[in-house]
Amino acid sequence: MEDLKELKKIEKFADQCMKCGFCSFFCPVYQEEKVETAVARGKNYLVRQMIQGDQKFTPEMADIIGKCLLCKRCAANCPAKTQIDRVVVGARAQLVKEKGLGFVKNFAFRKVMANRKAFGRYVKLAKTFQFMMPKTEGKIRHLPDFLKGLGQGRNIPEIADKFLRDRVKRVNKPQSGPAKMKVGFFSGCAMDFVYPELGLKIIDVLTKHGCEVIVPEEQSCCGAAIYFSGDFETGRMLAEENIKAFKDVDYIVTGCGTCSSTLKDYQKYLTDTEDQQKRYEAFEKKIKDSTEFLIDILKINPSDFKLKKEFEGKTATWHDPCHLIRYQNIKEQPRAILKALKGLKYVEMPNADLCCGMGGSFSVYHYDLTKKIAAKKMDGIKATGADIVVTACPGCMINLIDNVLQNKMPQKVHHFLELVE
Amino acid sequence: MMKEAVLDKLKKIVGNENVLTTPEVLKAYSYDGTTSWQHEPEVVVFPTTTEQVSDILKLANAEKIPVTPRGGGTNVSGGSVPWLGGIVLVTTKMNQIVKIDKENLSATVEAGVVLQDLTMKLAKDGLFFPPDPQSFLGATMGGIIAENAGGPACVKYGVTKQYILGIEAVLPSGDIINLGGRTLKNVVGYDLLHILISSEGTLGVITKAELKLRPMPPARKTIMAVYADIAVAGENVYRVLENGVIPNKIELLDNWVINRIEEMMPMGLPKDADAVLLFECDGILETVDKEVEKIAEIAKKYGATDVRIAKDQAEADKYWMARKAGFAAVFGKAPTVLSEDVTVPRGNIPALIKKVKEIAKKHNVESCCLGHAGDGNLHPSVLTDKKNEELYSRAIKAIDEIIESAVELGGVLSGEHGIGLEKQKFFNKVTNPAVVDLMKGIKALFDPNNIMNPGKIWD
Ligand SMILES: Cc1cc2nc3c(=O)[nH]c(=O)nc-3n(C[C@H](O)[C@H](O)[C@H](O)COP(=O)(O)OP(=O)(O)OC[C@H]3O[C@@H](n4cnc5c(N)ncnc54)[C@H](O)[C@@H]3O)c2cc1C
Ligand code: SF4
Ligand code: SF4
Ligand code: SF4
Repeated sequence: MEDLKELKKIEKFADQCMKCGFCSFFCPVYQEEKVETAVARGKNYLVRQMIQGDQKFTPEMADIIGKCLLCKRCAANCPAKTQIDRVVVGARAQLVKEKGLGFVKNFAFRKVMANRKAFGRYVKLAKTFQFMMPKTEGKIRHLPDFLKGLGQGRNIPEIADKFLRDRVKRVNKPQSGPAKMKVGFFSGCAMDFVYPELGLKIIDVLTKHGCEVIVPEEQSCCGAAIYFSGDFETGRMLAEENIKAFKDVDYIVTGCGTCSSTLKDYQKYLTDTEDQQKRYEAFEKKIKDSTEFLIDILKINPSDFKLKKEFEGKTATWHDPCHLIRYQNIKEQPRAILKALKGLKYVEMPNADLCCGMGGSFSVYHYDLTKKIAAKKMDGIKATGADIVVTACPGCMINLIDNVLQNKMPQKVHHFLELVE
Repeated sequence: MMKEAVLDKLKKIVGNENVLTTPEVLKAYSYDGTTSWQHEPEVVVFPTTTEQVSDILKLANAEKIPVTPRGGGTNVSGGSVPWLGGIVLVTTKMNQIVKIDKENLSATVEAGVVLQDLTMKLAKDGLFFPPDPQSFLGATMGGIIAENAGGPACVKYGVTKQYILGIEAVLPSGDIINLGGRTLKNVVGYDLLHILISSEGTLGVITKAELKLRPMPPARKTIMAVYADIAVAGENVYRVLENGVIPNKIELLDNWVINRIEEMMPMGLPKDADAVLLFECDGILETVDKEVEKIAEIAKKYGATDVRIAKDQAEADKYWMARKAGFAAVFGKAPTVLSEDVTVPRGNIPALIKKVKEIAKKHNVESCCLGHAGDGNLHPSVLTDKKNEELYSRAIKAIDEIIESAVELGGVLSGEHGIGLEKQKFFNKVTNPAVVDLMKGIKALFDPNNIMNPGKIWD
């Protein structure tokens, strides 16, 4: 008997599917491919077949479960509340258990990313080759697959001259008065290596509002690209490191939508034992995305935010990162701020919640598909006539920038924290 | 296994990327929306033009290979399951909305257009296509025509066949034909158009259709009426209609369904009610207001314990959300759910509901009722588990008796889902042999080699 442990864990989620086919309407991948294996219904069915022993882990099967953005649009609209993200991630975990990570992923995850210092060295190395790449105004890319992602003709990020970790203090006192609370700042790779200014900005905003901000050096990668690919072992190692690094704070704030949801979801995907479950759940309670933290925890009135001079008179639209809207139910907070900013005009884009097509490492392996999905996003952006597209996930930002440039559109892409004083 | 030579020819017709044969894909095209029927095809092809469909059928006809047309695969009668293997011909890549003609209130669409995509596009022009199967998010126009689908709005607007002006189809011979036209009236010879509509993919492949549209009504309002006795709710349906108001929807949820919805997502439905009816009126605001008042009045007069008129769209949306969730509530509650779509003349709804309860009790199975009460189309459902043989056989018995009693009450086997595989055993039982022969004769004329969706309806 084969050990189907990871599949067994998700059997009940796959079993919930009643094959109504509603998901086909919402799935960005199916909308492009129009083939049943692309959609949640097909994936649920095939995973069930594997559990029953009627389907083997073939390369085709790996490809099928690989072709999912984990955007959860299907799940959010599924009348039976099937959780395809869990089914897909569980199936990937089973694949990793049986076949091991592919060489590239193995190298990237285990040797590089899981070791923060080494990762820094590699990123620096990549930087020295940067002159060979087309120079673009936009920065960033989701970093896990950074090295592999090069050279597909896309606009890739510029690595910062000096990483956030080398510019930031470990302890940042509130700018005035006693500390209201102790907040850990989770930088994530994006802010560490590519957007250090953004990291500094978040710390500035938090200390301005009375928080003491701790930036532990021992923090690691959130693990999104790693455990979503099914490498639960490395994922768990990162979870433990991060939990340890942040054990002394009231909240943990991050400006990356992917990071916040990934940290929150350790308890969903990675647990094996009751002890883990308890500790990961406790950790989840501390995690807040920047938008959520400012509005829900610090309870800042949206109209108290001041627009930066350079954005005065501009029109802005909001792109919902999947990891904010569907993984964390954060939808109104950023909109409330954008709508309240004096001097800025807000327009809602059609299909604001449509995945931008990035899907973490998805875009590396299926770049053509990413571009097609992003084209629909671009249509939505064009329809608003906005000057700036605002979001709160560096992953989305990279992809939006890439596609805005490819489509020769005038819009600029910004993290929402870049807009405020 | 399909001959390599045939596969090569298929690839020549539609291109390599549109011919799929991996075991994984074959599995993914072995099912439809039903729980009980599965069979794998030997190949799945995705034509993109009518000419390609024609070439595929010519090839299949020459080689005598079964062809099962498939749109969204949302049907719940086994219709798009390739029961005898062969080719599954999927229309999802033929999905162009060719033309929207506002002047003539019509639209030309390819078979693979998904209803919701069409609805969204039409809304921009202030138009709509009235038939509204509740699978609108996945169902394609080809499938909707082939099943003559209808949904809640049929009370007022009727079913698909009333909204098809013409179709382009490919016969098993490969001949491309056009039936009907673009005019509202058409009496040129036999009405072959309506033989193709509701043919369940057994006569040919529909490739294009000319649809009749309506202007979008400017106003709509929702009412929820609450009943202490489900039979009274059933009676209310025809009371409202006989008193001169035709709402566009009348939907029924029974106590069991209400409570499952409240468990899933509490939204303040009356948990101790035996049943609720949801009405929706649409049209010009003044008329809608009058109609809503009238319904409230009649409902109260004939025994509703409470009548709530939704004060705004948000409240209305909540009620309709509940109706939609009802479906999930039923299916999420048991490993296997046998759900019927029997339809009786409206006056017999109370009798049918009573019968369903009796039968469920007799066989000791859990049952519930929800459905499009407005047109007498109920979905009595029995909860069971396919893996539990004893329980499953009791459920089957109960469902069989429910179907039989619906027919005894002057009803039909299927209001909207079709016969497919699911209802074959009843079809032969209740259909006049002369009629069956006539149908078989027509089938033989269209499809002498019996390649189009073989194994369905009467086999
Ligand atoms: C949740 C749910 C709710 C539903 N609600 C309703 C409802 O309210 N009303 C209703 O009527 N039905 C309903 N149905 C049933 C189903 O959705 C409809 O029958 C729908 O019309 C099927 O469309 P499809 O594109 O999915 O067709 P498929 O399932 O792919 O095919 C249905 C049949 O049509 C044939 N076919 C498909 N395309 C073509 C073509 N181009 N040419 C010739 N034959 C073709 C197939 O061979 C098959 O026999 C529901 C189903 C589900 C799962
Ligand atoms: S919407 Fe949900 S229940 Fe329906 S087919 Fe998709 S996953 Fe299954
Ligand atoms: S998570 Fe997104 S990409 Fe994956 S199946 Fe669902 S809708 Fe499609
Ligand atoms: S998810 Fe966050 S921490 Fe992980 S790679 Fe992306 S940006 Fe870095």
